[in-house]
Amino acid sequence: MIWLAWRQHRKQGLFAVVGLAVLAALLVPTGISMHHTFTDSGLAECLRKLGTAEFLKPGADCDSLSSVFTNQYGTMATLGMLSVFLPLLVGLFWGAPLVARELEQGTHRLVWTQGVSRLRWALVKFGLVLAGTLIVSVCYALLLSWWLEPLSQAGQGRLAELNFDVQGVAPVAYTLYAVALGIFAGTVWRRVLPAMAAALIGFLALRFVLLLGVRAHFLPISERTYPVIGQIRPNSTLGDWIYSVGIKDASGKVVAANQQIQCAPAVAGNPNGPCAAFGPGAYNFQLYQPGGNFWPIQFIEAGLFTALAAVLLYLAIRQIRTRIA
Amino acid sequence: MSMALEAHGLGKRYRRNWALRDCSLHLPAGRIAALVGPNGAGKSTLLNMAVGLLRPTEGTLRVLGQSPGGNRDLMDRIGFVAQDTPLYPDFTATELITMGAKLNRRWDTSLARERVERLGIPLDRRTGELSGGQRAQVALALALAKRPELLLLDEPVASLDPLARREFMQVLMGSVADGETTVLLSSHLLGDLERVCDYLIVLQAAHVQLLGGVDELVSEHKTLVGPRRERASIAGVSEIVRESHTDKQTTLLVRTDGPILDPAWSVHDVTLEDLVLAYLAYPAPGRAILGVAQ
Repeated sequence: MIWLAWRQHRKQGLFAVVGLAVLAALLVPTGISMHHTFTDSGLAECLRKLGTAEFLKPGADCDSLSSVFTNQYGTMATLGMLSVFLPLLVGLFWGAPLVARELEQGTHRLVWTQGVSRLRWALVKFGLVLAGTLIVSVCYALLLSWWLEPLSQAGQGRLAELNFDVQGVAPVAYTLYAVALGIFAGTVWRRVLPAMAAALIGFLALRFVLLLGVRAHFLPISERTYPVIGQIRPNSTLGDWIYSVGIKDASGKVVAANQQIQCAPAVAGNPNGPCAAFGPGAYNFQLYQPGGNFWPIQFIEAGLFTALAAVLLYLAIRQIRTRIA
Repeated sequence: MSMALEAHGLGKRYRRNWALRDCSLHLPAGRIAALVGPNGAGKSTLLNMAVGLLRPTEGTLRVLGQSPGGNRDLMDRIGFVAQDTPLYPDFTATELITMGAKLNRRWDTSLARERVERLGIPLDRRTGELSGGQRAQVALALALAKRPELLLLDEPVASLDPLARREFMQVLMGSVADGETTVLLSSHLLGDLERVCDYLIVLQAAHVQLLGGVDELVSEHKTLVGPRRERASIAGVSEIVRESHTDKQTTLLVRTDGPILDPAWSVHDVTLEDLVLAYLAYPAPGRAILGVAQ
């Protein structure tokens, strides 16, 4: 049975190896140059000196260095984020056809009438393809985690949308989920194209819902405040994921959403200045997930998607054993 | 007599429609049986249940004395050629034979290779590039490589041209000539099977219409021609299958249970084809199939 599964899926394995090689050919040289620039420009040293202080004094920042760096590599970073769709591709091209193609070509009638039970057939096929998925997705996650390191430190941090989604353990779980969803869709729709369409919709829907609505609430949200009149500013290099900002007055009422403002005490009294609209005691606030929550949130999300993948595979096997002929 | 296949009150429902209903039949071991019926009569459903691909909704089914469905021991003893003879199109015949060897405990690799080679089918060409007739032959070679006690074929020649049809049937009959293999093959055309079968099952509209040995069935049925008469009751006739009338005369196709002695009727023999067509054209849902010579 292992021979059959390998014979059927070795071509997909070859495509995956080629795909990974292409990805590596793109990422390794650019990643090396990025890491060099990151060190050589002094940005790495500057960030190290800045440390993990929550607030910075005026002038103590690496903003100019990091903006030079992000300007240089910003486009590349955006392109790198496109790899967020790779797990989906694996799900569409490995998962969806796994059972659906057999049903479409009628070959399940050939293979299920040999001396191998459907359960064993399913377990070996799923096992082999999932093992391949695991290897490919781990390579992909490691490669991107390394590649994104300087960009995350210089820019928004690795908790930021899309940054989070292509590094760590989460992409591995997304890929397993995509493949399991494809397999299950194949056992329900029983044709390759509808199964691919269903897997596409199911994958994107859940990923978007979690990314936009749920992820920020996995762990308690932190709030950070600093005065409108003053000179200490939050350290933006801590890797915090800030998803809501605004200004509150002294009583704690939100008086301006989606903006942050600060005036030095020397110019605060200027009636035409930007800070004049806010009364004394007004302060800026940020709602955020601390950068230190990166791994806990990664594991929560990875666990969720892995559990879903397991449920889908169980349902797929049930379909194969009892519903399909 | 041991039975290769035995069904009692067998039925299969897809959502609201019964593909097969109240089906009771038996196929004695060693026979070469034709399963005949129009498309949608339930032939594939019956065969798929026999190999455990489908589960019956009601009734019982015994194949080689065992219950199919997740029964690996039984699958070792059954060869099956599914409808449209599905094969992995990117596998070569050699690879398919290897696959069979890996998946079955009872498998004769050299027999399968010989069969394919003898027919001049290239062993190292992808089956997707073979002709329909060659694919059917490869599928048959795979089914025979199990050295099955029961060989089931679901419309194996339906999509083949007449030449390939004849060749396929010749190869099939040559390979089961030893009489140790029971064969059940389905077709919507009797013509494909008439010359080779000694047992007949006619399915129509999800029910068994006719069942029995070909010789017995042919000798039991007669065509009677006589003066016009409505709703006649005739001594020696157990059932009127079909009747047709002209102004002057009545023609009946009947099943007999004794000699027809009434001199008003002239008695003629029937051909198997007449018989099958009559039963297909005049299906009776609850037609009794008991009393057929076994």
